[in-house]
Amino acid sequence: MKRELGIVAYKCKKCGRLHYPFHDRCLACRSRDFEKVKPQGTPRLLTYTRIYNLPWGIEGRYLIIGVVEFENGVKAMGQIPVDEKEPLTNGMLLHATWEPVRVQYGENVYGLVLRPE
Amino acid sequence: MRDVAVIGVGMIQFGRRDEDTLMDMLAYASLKALDDAGLGDGTVDAVYVGNMAAGMLQHQSAVASSLVDRLSLLPAAADVVENGPASGGSAVKNGLLAVASGYYDTVLVTGGEKMREVTGWRATDIVATMTHPEAEYPYGITLPGMAGMFTRLYMEKYGVTREMLVAVALKNQEIGALNPYAHVEMALDKNGIFNSPHSIVNNPMAADPLHLYDACPVSDGAAAIVITALDKIKNPAKAPVLIAGFGQATDTQTLQERDDPTDLKAVTLAAQQAFERAKMKPSDIHVAELHDAFTILEIAESEHVGFFKKGEGGKAALDGKTRLGGQIPINVSGGLKARGHPVGGTGVAQICDLTWQLRHELPKERQVKNAKTGLSVNFGGFGNNVLAFVLRRVDS
Repeated sequence: MKRELGIVAYKCKKCGRLHYPFHDRCLACRSRDFEKVKPQGTPRLLTYTRIYNLPWGIEGRYLIIGVVEFENGVKAMGQIPVDEKEPLTNGMLLHATWEPVRVQYGENVYGLVLRPE
Repeated sequence: MRDVAVIGVGMIQFGRRDEDTLMDMLAYASLKALDDAGLGDGTVDAVYVGNMAAGMLQHQSAVASSLVDRLSLLPAAADVVENGPASGGSAVKNGLLAVASGYYDTVLVTGGEKMREVTGWRATDIVATMTHPEAEYPYGITLPGMAGMFTRLYMEKYGVTREMLVAVALKNQEIGALNPYAHVEMALDKNGIFNSPHSIVNNPMAADPLHLYDACPVSDGAAAIVITALDKIKNPAKAPVLIAGFGQATDTQTLQERDDPTDLKAVTLAAQQAFERAKMKPSDIHVAELHDAFTILEIAESEHVGFFKKGEGGKAALDGKTRLGGQIPINVSGGLKARGHPVGGTGVAQICDLTWQLRHELPKERQVKNAKTGLSVNFGGFGNNVLAFVLRRVDS
């Protein structure tokens, strides 16, 4: 079953600054009044890396992680599960889904997964 | 506020120290600093210990309480200070403020970590716990991974090249090989790690575009300093080194929330505060210890503290301007790249190395001639909590 993206960003009602992850006060004006915003549109890759020295809890030989910006300005980190030889470039468009990104204490942890369109 | 000076320093060799516990290492470095300060059988008013992860690595807490007990410094006040890889710098800050305020006269600051007790897999995860618990950590991001993403942006914006990064690695390991306290005792050959068939094997990708030799080693180690009020020092055996200024600043925890992710604002602000307090400017500094956990950070920090304009730090490294004898010698200790990075100890080790430089106690192959001023930068998180210190030699 396809899951909705579990990311909720927060737009300051006073100055309009968009936040993800959550902050109790706006990073720009310190207001506490936010409107919840879901990421919308096609995410664009801002930067990425292929990690070959993995942390405990992540299986595999390598892991590709990137940061994307959705069309409505929400920025978030996600995994890019493609072959290490797959060409990636900053600025390319990706397709976003919400899938298991690791297992902790026997439970799937869901997160942002990105693939080339 | 009182002027505060470093009167004693001590360090043990960083590396893999299977024979020592964390407490052994903290005690050895502390005793050396006490001896150096002429307090071999004396005491201090308070002890601050910089340590990031004894709770996770050794299943041990309250290490400052253990240290004062072990060193017979009772009933001195004792606290652990935790600020990720800037724990050492934060411990120095706490000691500095305690003495500057007049509350305590003499303080021992010790920093250390025993990281090789666990596998690299586990240590990488423990260090990654400083990333955001919802927006970053679950994805498996590591600190090298953060540095890789930062490097890609920095290369794109400022034209930093692989060769510039390699220049930093070569410089720091060449001079680090002369440092008896360094973890890595081996100089590198450029052909072995850059643009050659050998380099593919010797220097594999770690977190692209960063390779193995762009990163510092994971180390065991400890360092310590003794600080006191300058006006309490009478007939010093060694030149006191004044902590002329310090600064600390924070930034967003996630890289993506920064207006410009290549702008290390906390580095700039911490350095500006330190310079302002010391009534100095970047061009007044004779030697610097910058937090080169990754080669890109030495380049970026050299620009953000004001030694070079944005985009010129990489070329400066390539042109030898940051070598001993250059315009501004950076990481003449070998830096984190060669001395190593026991995370809680690094900020204190930087002050030790600068103190030796400003006392002119190093052999000539590592001594910056007539050095009287120094700058250190201790970089916490991925630049979200940074400390800077300006030191100045006090001549009688």
